[in-house]
Amino acid sequence: MAVLRPPYLATAALSGLLFGAGLYVSQMVDPLKVLRFLDFTAIPSGGWDPSLAFVIVPAILVMFIAVRIGRGRSAPLFDKEFHEPEYKRIDTRLVGGAALFGIGWGMSGICPGPAIALIAFPPDGVWLFLAALVVGSYAGSLIVPSGHAKRLVDAK
Amino acid sequence: MESFTPLTAALGGSLIGLAAAVLWLGNGRIAGISGIFGQLLPPAQTVVWRLVFLAALVLGAWGTSRLFPAVGVGGVEPAALVPPPATWGVPPPVWLIVAGLLIGFGTKIGNGCTSGHGVCGLARLSLRSLVAVLVFFGVAIITVTVTGIV
Repeated sequence: MAVLRPPYLATAALSGLLFGAGLYVSQMVDPLKVLRFLDFTAIPSGGWDPSLAFVIVPAILVMFIAVRIGRGRSAPLFDKEFHEPEYKRIDTRLVGGAALFGIGWGMSGICPGPAIALIAFPPDGVWLFLAALVVGSYAGSLIVPSGHAKRLVDAK
Repeated sequence: MESFTPLTAALGGSLIGLAAAVLWLGNGRIAGISGIFGQLLPPAQTVVWRLVFLAALVLGAWGTSRLFPAVGVGGVEPAALVPPPATWGVPPPVWLIVAGLLIGFGTKIGNGCTSGHGVCGLARLSLRSLVAVLVFFGVAIITVTVTGIV
């Protein structure tokens, strides 16, 4: 089974390590720094922190190159196919989900990556936050159709 | 602008992009944290690599914090969670629970967060992801404005 072979798991581990390192080095694990980006009211006074944009743009550029490289290949190195996201439709679930996520993100300054990374140096309250994240995600899974075939029908 | 850190931001962002590139070209998987995390429930055959990735993410953050303590987390480590706006009178645990529920639920039904839609989706030139990114950034900015949490 491809997903249990050592090179596959080593790739997942390397990717996770790089991701966690990037979140720390960029200080995106600091909720206040994220909120300081989202606080556009601070732009006139010069107190706005544009750092988050300087994180996400290089990240997109590097991944853009990887996607280009991938397009020239029939399969990734350690699996039989690229798992392209199957959903294509722009629907209420996408927009509503993104909006609810936006409210939670604006309330806390924590998106899912930093939420996990914070386990490395857990601040007060982070376990409660993570528990709520799990419960919320599970609740969401109850209304999202499960199973590959059903998802695909729903996606088109 | 004193807290603006463009160099470490770009370096960290490049590492995040590299992480996404490694997972895509190696395993053909999207490095979307909410997806990797959210599909632990219900456990599938893919649960092993998801757990390995998430454990390594924690280790990566911890390791760099030990190697480069000077980068700091806002100058203080560990980073503190941000308390709710004082005037709202909401107990901090309630605020955190509501935020966590919204993020978990929203990223599940919207199929992605800052990494899956933001980094990977935009890099794939996905229109769906562009819509999601505009919505969650827009709503988050409005939320911060309304709450005055900063």
